Amino acid sequence: MIRIEGLGKAYRTPQGEFHALHDIDLEIARGDVFGIIGRSGAGKSTLLRTLNLLERPTLGHVYIDGEDVTHIDGERLRRLRQRIGVIFQHFNLLHSRSVSENVRLPLRIAGELSTAEQTRRVNEVLELVGLADQARKFPGQLSGGQQQRVGIARALANKPTLLLCDEATSALDPQTTQSILRLLVDINRQLGLTIVLITHDMNVIRAVANHVAILEHGRVVESGKVLDVFLNPRHETTQSLLAEIGLETEGAIATARSGSSRILRLTYRGVTALSPVLSRLSRESGVDFAILQGSVGRLQGSPYGQLTIEMEEPDDSRFQQLLVALANQDVRCEVLR
Amino acid sequence: MDAATPSLWDAVIAFDYWPEIGTATLDTLIMTGVSLLFTILLGLPLGVVLFLTSPGHRSPQRQVARMQAITYGMLSFLVNVLRSAPFLILLILLIPVTRWIMGTTLGVEGSIPPLVIGIAPFFARLVENLLREVDRGVLEACRAMGATTRQTVFWALLPETLPGLLGAVTVTAIALIGYSAMSGVIGGGGLGDLAVRYGYQRFNTAVMLVTVAVLVVLVQLVQLIGDRLVRRLNHR
Repeated sequence: MIRIEGLGKAYRTPQGEFHALHDIDLEIARGDVFGIIGRSGAGKSTLLRTLNLLERPTLGHVYIDGEDVTHIDGERLRRLRQRIGVIFQHFNLLHSRSVSENVRLPLRIAGELSTAEQTRRVNEVLELVGLADQARKFPGQLSGGQQQRVGIARALANKPTLLLCDEATSALDPQTTQSILRLLVDINRQLGLTIVLITHDMNVIRAVANHVAILEHGRVVESGKVLDVFLNPRHETTQSLLAEIGLETEGAIATARSGSSRILRLTYRGVTALSPVLSRLSRESGVDFAILQGSVGRLQGSPYGQLTIEMEEPDDSRFQQLLVALANQDVRCEVLR
Repeated sequence: MDAATPSLWDAVIAFDYWPEIGTATLDTLIMTGVSLLFTILLGLPLGVVLFLTSPGHRSPQRQVARMQAITYGMLSFLVNVLRSAPFLILLILLIPVTRWIMGTTLGVEGSIPPLVIGIAPFFARLVENLLREVDRGVLEACRAMGATTRQTVFWALLPETLPGLLGAVTVTAIALIGYSAMSGVIGGGGLGDLAVRYGYQRFNTAVMLVTVAVLVVLVQLVQLIGDRLVRRLNHR
């Protein structure tokens, strides 16, 4: 769907050239929910904006559906943008226009439908986002979550194949965030739409994305399937972003009793996550564990578990036995201490 | 009440310039109304062009941006020149222009060109500033939707500023009432003309006072109507 090759963006500033993006290569498959995460200033917004060329890259290429769009302009560029929906952190709705007029705007801009067809399409997308009964209200009369739903309806009006989300939930409270994220997942499933979203919050990635790229200082420092990255983060930025939502181990070791105890991190997924692995091993090996930290749940529909456990000085042979037993159960095991 | 001192009511009845006041009021309304119409027709596009070519809104293409910078510089300079000349001076300076456009420099017709030329730049600046107040996110959304500049202006920018625009029209209309009275000095017609001829040249204080009173009422009415419209149209 989208291929980014050697993408770079530099700005001229009074202090000299500022490189917002360096040598970025990404591939986003059709139907994917692709999350780009980074701290503020990492360049994620710039990267997202190069996808519909609101920002022109200074180097490299952007391919959409195999077509190199890096240098198109004029009417072709406008047509491309009409096929790409965008939702914004601050919704960016027209306050002078009713909800239905806001949603109609992209249809008027594209100018392909008759007024009656536009009205039908407006009702359709408002239904989809659950705002059919608010069509005649004005954005100022709606809550933040409802306004973002209008934003989503507007972005979907022209039946795009790609939806870009620019910190779409950052201005919303946690509960509303969840409902908007659920809506995005529904849309992705129902319409088969490719979604690219940027965020600074790993919770958003966990809730909706199936691929993730971590951006720092304008470079992709890590990328891959969400499950892989979450369970085995390699770069320190990824680890610290995960730490913010309680999914990392370093802190857990510090909470362990000092001394000669061993600390292990166990990672398992799929059916293993559902079977009583730990209690069986404990019973069979006669070793007792303390769980220092853990997270068990589902990521993108697939069960996973990651536990950091501490055990009281087992003798070496029993410890080795235990490691073998874990490996036999399809549990990845890292000895942290 | 002492019969020797006439009451205010007696004075009003004895005041025999009501027909002149009536005609002059009508003239003022026509001058102001017609000038306002042309001010909007001229000033609104001028304001929009000023906004679209102002720094921060220019094309990423260097050559286009350069043309925009030149356009902005020239229009901005013109606007500033017209706004810096005191209206009374502008009135006199524009006499040849007025004669060329209207065929006369006197009366209601003679006042309209200088009024429009004097106030349209002011209105244009108001429009430019209003457009600057529009949330940049809305412009960004329009670009992202693939809108042309024309679509952005007519479907997003102007609707978003409509309440503000009505406020600007109100302010401009009131300024026009004041300016139209000033054009009485060079024989412009209307209430100002009446005040100059009777009040100033013939020392008829009563006419002067009534003229001022009518102007006060007109201004109040315009402001009232303007405020009502703004309130009705504001959805924020």
